Amino acid sequence: MKLTKSIKVAFVAVAASSLVIAGTTTGSAAPKKSLKSIRVAAVVKGLDNPFFIGIKEGIEETALKYGVYANVQAAPGLNDDIGQANKLDSLAGQNYDCYIVIPISSNNLSQAIGKITKKKKTVINIDSPVDSASLNASGGKITSFAGTDNFEAGKAGGAKMVAAIGAGKKIGLIAGLAGNVTSNARVDGFKAGAAGATFVGPVNADWDTTKALDAANAMIAANKDLAGFFAANDQMAQGVGKAIKAAKLNIPVYGVDGIADALNEVKAGSITATISQYPYVMGQMGVEACIIAAQGGKVPAQTITPYYIIDSSNITAALTNKSTRGFFPNQTPPGAFTNPYTKLIKK
Amino acid sequence: MRKSVAPAKPGATDLSFLDKARSRIKDPFFWSDWLVVVAFIFVVAVFGIIAPEEFLTLWNLNNILVAASIPAIIAVGQTFTVLTAGIDLSVSSTMTFGAVTFGLVFTNSWPLWQCVIIGVIAGTVVGLLNGLIIAKRKINDFIVTLGMLSVASGAALVLSDGKPRQVISEQLSTLAIGEKANVPYLMMVAFVIVLIAHFVLFHTRFGTHVFAVGGDPESARAMGISVVKIKVAVYVISGALAGLAATLAISRIGSAEPAANTSILLNSVAAVVLGGVSLFGGRGTIFGPFIATLLLQSLANGLTVIGVAAYYQYLSIGLVVILSAALVRTDK
Repeated sequence: MKLTKSIKVAFVAVAASSLVIAGTTTGSAAPKKSLKSIRVAAVVKGLDNPFFIGIKEGIEETALKYGVYANVQAAPGLNDDIGQANKLDSLAGQNYDCYIVIPISSNNLSQAIGKITKKKKTVINIDSPVDSASLNASGGKITSFAGTDNFEAGKAGGAKMVAAIGAGKKIGLIAGLAGNVTSNARVDGFKAGAAGATFVGPVNADWDTTKALDAANAMIAANKDLAGFFAANDQMAQGVGKAIKAAKLNIPVYGVDGIADALNEVKAGSITATISQYPYVMGQMGVEACIIAAQGGKVPAQTITPYYIIDSSNITAALTNKSTRGFFPNQTPPGAFTNPYTKLIKK
Repeated sequence: MRKSVAPAKPGATDLSFLDKARSRIKDPFFWSDWLVVVAFIFVVAVFGIIAPEEFLTLWNLNNILVAASIPAIIAVGQTFTVLTAGIDLSVSSTMTFGAVTFGLVFTNSWPLWQCVIIGVIAGTVVGLLNGLIIAKRKINDFIVTLGMLSVASGAALVLSDGKPRQVISEQLSTLAIGEKANVPYLMMVAFVIVLIAHFVLFHTRFGTHVFAVGGDPESARAMGISVVKIKVAVYVISGALAGLAATLAISRIGSAEPAANTSILLNSVAAVVLGGVSLFGGRGTIFGPFIATLLLQSLANGLTVIGVAAYYQYLSIGLVVILSAALVRTDK
């Protein structure tokens, strides 16, 4: 009895939902997509990292603002490259107009993207680029890329520091994990920007505050004439800040990212500057690129998302700009930045 | 010591069938074997009802099979170690180590089949070390493989200098996306492994010895079974399968990644427990963990397909694992 009843319920549910689906597909067959009918799926990296939570919020709030539907999914863990590919595979067959992807490695989503391209759907790549060779091999196509140029961000920091301390000085470099692409780009960029300086390191402190503290202590002990420090992320800059304070030195330390703690330390003076990134803006640009593509517009192929050097000169603006979020409090830079996507959306 | 048999074909119609069925349903071991099948059918039915047009499509079922293939192979290896009351916590980094060695020889333009063999050998070596240290030095499986988790992922980082190596190959991408009669090639590979493992476990003397060592090592020793040999063998199997899974992983993501993928490990342990293998050793099946892998992947897929927010997915998958484990309760 119970069983037959539940089977009936199941049948009704199946029948009803297939009607609904049939309804929507005929509805969306109209030539121009209304904002409300646009469906966006996003697969970001693991949400155990605040940076990607910032991106997720950028996607969700921008979708809400335009009234488009967004389903944001994440890899089960920061290193789960196969799990992330599974997620994108699961979404690829569904009724979405556009897919926003942030690959964990430069290759892991290429095959899934190939499947999406075969279905003639749009793929927007944000933050970390998908490798073009593997993309070609799978027949995938990326319509637009929006991400930070870590090399340029580091370079801007290097130029700023040399302008502050003068040329020909000795600068200590603290890098993240050995072989990490982001860390390398930031450190190499900084070196390029700080032309004329001599460098100590880079020493790998694995993105970790304590390890950076230890590394900075060792570098200060061995090089009494250090005139500044660059750390490839804010957590490490915090560690360096502590080492400098303990050694009673008065030299600048720059970090990268713009996390909440670092902004507070810039305010307090224990970190000199943080080259801030805006994950929220990346998410926003991803959704906007999707909308342009769904409306049949021409999407800019590549956009460099903004970075901003936050130091004592603009820290007040950065802190008032603060939203309710914890880790990446600044959704947008405290000044002007170009977003080539917004103006292309038809309301 | 009870050697349990994989879910047998129902329908053997003799007069005492009903009586037999009644007594089997009351047998707690029956449920530890079958609960995972019931749970799997339940999960598929629930998602099928909620999202028939999205979940129950050939495309999507295909995705689930592809997603389940690598974890299934790892779970088979894990089953062998758990059957001897051991555990292999190093599987994920063994797979990474295998992948990195594969990538290394591939970039030195070795032919593909040799790369595959090198990957398997790399995994086998890690498994052999695990087994020898555990059995010869009589150190706890948990501690040795926990150490090996770090050693193998460190070795992978050293060997690769922390850099991924791109592996673009026509054959490998055919393996990854190809299918025959709606069954993906990757799943065929996994299923062949499952069948072989089932045969080895239930139809060879070695299999009987594995159960014996897991059930009661002292009696096994008294019967003249070399506990050391069996222990080494199960870790070699686990390592070799991790090395083989590395090839499948490379085919899916197109590169040999140096960072260990720990969810593979968690998945395999969850699948083994859900699949009704006793953590105290001596009883279990191969099909149980296999179905459990399908269950876990269906769950992850279904939640994504119906658009459950990422945060809730961690929660629900964890709850299902704990709940089913509590229901199975295979341990004596």
